[in-house]
Amino acid sequence: MSDIFQFNGAEGSGWAQPEPIIDDSLNTIPASLRRANLPRWPRASEPELVRHYTLLSQRNFGIDTGFYPLGSCTMKHNPRINERIVQLPGIDRVHPLQPEHQIQGLLSIYFEMQEMLEICAGMDQVTLQPVAGAQGEFTAIRCIQEYHRSNGDHQRDKVIVPDSAHGTNPASAAMCGYEIVEIPSGDDGRLDLEALRAAVGEDTAAMMITNPSTLGIFEPEIAKAAEIVHTAGGQMYYDGANFNAILGKTDPGRMGFDAVHYNLHKTFSQPHGGGGPGSGPIGVKEHLAEFLPSPIADREVAEDGGVTGDGYRYFWRTPDSTIGKVQQWHGNAGAVVRAWAYYRRYGKELELMSEHAVLNANYLRYQIMNANSDKRDAIHCMPIDGAPAEVVKHEFTLSMQPLKETTGVTGKDVAKRLLDYGYMSPTLYFPMIVPECLMIEPTETESREVLDKFAEDFLTILSEDPELVQTAPHDTDVRRVDEVLAARSLVLRKEFD
Amino acid sequence: MDQLPNLGREQEMLQSMGLKSMDDLFSDIPEDVRRTDSLPLRGPQSEEEIWADAQHLLGVNIDLDSRPSFLSAGLSRNFVPTMVPMLATRGEFLTSYTPYQPEVSQGMLQAMWEFQTMVSELVGLPVSNVSMYDASTAAAEAITCAVRVKGRKATQKGVVYVSQFVPPHRMSVIENYTQGVGIELRTLEHGMDGRVNLESATEAQGACAVYVEQPNAFGELDEGISQLKEIIGENTALIVGVDAVSLGIVEAPGNYGADIVVGEGQPFGIGPTAGGPIYGLFACKKDFLRLMPGRIVGKTLDEDGKDAFTLTLSTREQHIRRHRATSNICSNETLIALMGAMHMALLGPEGLQKLALRVAATTEVTKQAVTGIPGVELVDPDTPNFREFAVKLPGNAADAVAYMDSVGVLGGFPMGDWWESMSSCLLIGCDERTTKSDIDALVSSLSEWVEEVSA
Repeated sequence: MSDIFQFNGAEGSGWAQPEPIIDDSLNTIPASLRRANLPRWPRASEPELVRHYTLLSQRNFGIDTGFYPLGSCTMKHNPRINERIVQLPGIDRVHPLQPEHQIQGLLSIYFEMQEMLEICAGMDQVTLQPVAGAQGEFTAIRCIQEYHRSNGDHQRDKVIVPDSAHGTNPASAAMCGYEIVEIPSGDDGRLDLEALRAAVGEDTAAMMITNPSTLGIFEPEIAKAAEIVHTAGGQMYYDGANFNAILGKTDPGRMGFDAVHYNLHKTFSQPHGGGGPGSGPIGVKEHLAEFLPSPIADREVAEDGGVTGDGYRYFWRTPDSTIGKVQQWHGNAGAVVRAWAYYRRYGKELELMSEHAVLNANYLRYQIMNANSDKRDAIHCMPIDGAPAEVVKHEFTLSMQPLKETTGVTGKDVAKRLLDYGYMSPTLYFPMIVPECLMIEPTETESREVLDKFAEDFLTILSEDPELVQTAPHDTDVRRVDEVLAARSLVLRKEFD
Repeated sequence: MDQLPNLGREQEMLQSMGLKSMDDLFSDIPEDVRRTDSLPLRGPQSEEEIWADAQHLLGVNIDLDSRPSFLSAGLSRNFVPTMVPMLATRGEFLTSYTPYQPEVSQGMLQAMWEFQTMVSELVGLPVSNVSMYDASTAAAEAITCAVRVKGRKATQKGVVYVSQFVPPHRMSVIENYTQGVGIELRTLEHGMDGRVNLESATEAQGACAVYVEQPNAFGELDEGISQLKEIIGENTALIVGVDAVSLGIVEAPGNYGADIVVGEGQPFGIGPTAGGPIYGLFACKKDFLRLMPGRIVGKTLDEDGKDAFTLTLSTREQHIRRHRATSNICSNETLIALMGAMHMALLGPEGLQKLALRVAATTEVTKQAVTGIPGVELVDPDTPNFREFAVKLPGNAADAVAYMDSVGVLGGFPMGDWWESMSSCLLIGCDERTTKSDIDALVSSLSEWVEEVSA
């Protein structure tokens, strides 16, 4: 097959650059350190590469090419103004260590974003340094760890997570050295307070939980859970992956949380980019603020009026007992600026975003679960709710277990068949507490027509010949990929003859 | 609001499912935690207004290209070919998620497999992942990875030696990533000449790993590093942090025994962008593969026997292994790695070499010019440098930077911000775009300051 290494033009062909400003600069490198053989990179011209990457892009599914109901990932439209803004030299050509007076605009955007995120989550101080949700979790747990240490609470060595939690929660806590205590969900998929009571104690450092849960359901007893953990001396950590569901309607501060991370790549439209970059700021209550990573944007009234036009001088501040750095610089500034542009679009109307995200999720769920009876008769078996709920939040789960038992068609088969219809698959087999789970999050940026059509196509799949579904996808770029072979005979790079 | 297709159609949608108002959708939030007031934030803006504000606020920042600039400290004031952002921001790449469904994600998967190959070739090791957050988290996770792999055979349990001349911001990341998991960091000493003390390096025998940088925080290249693997032995992993561009002329660490190579990928693909998003390189020998962090793409077949790519070895990762995962990394920097791959492919082997020669040239010319100023001395006079070098000034380097700033020159990084004992030292960074007139401006402004403080 053709790959980028097919381009093998003449030696020395390729990208034209100015000459070095002296001829013999190789002599500055001691002979013993000089590279013997150059890397075998392709030798390609710009026209060849533009076509190569254009063709590759056409073999990739994005929000721009179709409905992307990937639960937990909030695949909303990414406004294009964001990409235009980050090409401005005032962000693209800026060094994080430039003197403060040279980057007042950047600092003011940081400050505005910190303040906005504090307000939205009911927290006292935000840092924008963590560059991914998982790094935000890690950072917040590190702050909680230092908080306990500063109180002499060295025996607090356990972090509690529900069994429906994102995998990053236990992984992040384990990276700080914590032992993980997993508590089972109740039969209704909700947090089991009795299990929580039994799990907390003098060794509890924190509980990590997302609300709405990964089932898309608001935990009604969240405040009680917070009280149980706090009474035991633990801290409450809010996984903000599902923040898109509740913005402006409630906030983690009200629910009793001490720390929270935000996913700017979910809630605030930083594009997912095939897996990253993300941005995972964290917010904390006052008692944790002194431990936050350094630095944080701050401001004071400028005697000379300042340069941004708002009368302030902005500066970097180091929290008193900072844990130091989790990323080398000030986080993914480009993602922060994109999120800023997105926030400015809504301003105080951010709750409109959550309302529509929740409206779309409930609407789609209704269309699927309440198909009219003619249609139902043709369907092999309807999915059941991942957990019962009057209303869901921004996402919902469907268990394809009845279908599997009746026809042998699995959740994975349905997911793969959806690809034939031009949709991205929902999140598959997560949360693990729902058998044959499909987790669906439509987001606020899909129209009613798209949701109607998806529901119709989804139900059609349930009435299709099981063999057709089990052998899907049929119409995609490649057919079902042999992942076992990939792991057994590892081919992780191009081998040259 | 132009982002909501169902705006104005809420009622019909609500009614179709038997609901009356938007409030019904939030009736499950208990009253005691419900927000009743509206968010105390500014009003909404149109795209036109946002663009104007962005131009104003970002226009207040002084960009590196607008003046002679010698601030590097680990980032490169590079030139990114126009093709790179134009192609990488095609919506199919930009708006995709992690390619968990390979049947509709072959484009990004193939591009990442090609990226892995180019990184592997660059550093001389067989395996590369599809990126870490930055050079510092790559270094930190290389250390935890090495401890997992070498821990059992190590005689110095959990011990890792880290070069004394790793920049403090990276050291801080390393400390945060290692402090809770039973890893003890010890210092790998350097001699008075700035080079790794090879005699004291023998102390690292039997440790889990040694982490060094080539060049180090002062931009110094150290010939001794190529002998380190022989000194520390097979059971201790050698991790080398590199300046990726330097590898166009400096030997790839994989070719002198490195087990893991990490580094900042930023020079390939994206501007300094105020420190992020950038991406970390992570490559290793095969015996680290199953315990390494991050995503990896493998080549395989589809059920019709057609070549296909897929993410592989996912059982290492958090979404499967949860607290036993090799890392918590989920979102990474794929799009920036894609930009890196495009840039590397455009350069080609000889383009890379030329780029490195250009940086070497400006480093040397700047170094000669600056050390010609009476009273300015190299911190380590006998070491070769790449991209950066440190000089000792007859006064406080922060003052020198402030003076040069006042005459329109970004003169470098005052090293007292890293190490208090080095407050008179200035770290001067060069790049392929440094011109002779930039160097003249640096020399004349620094000379003026030196004359003033010496008077």
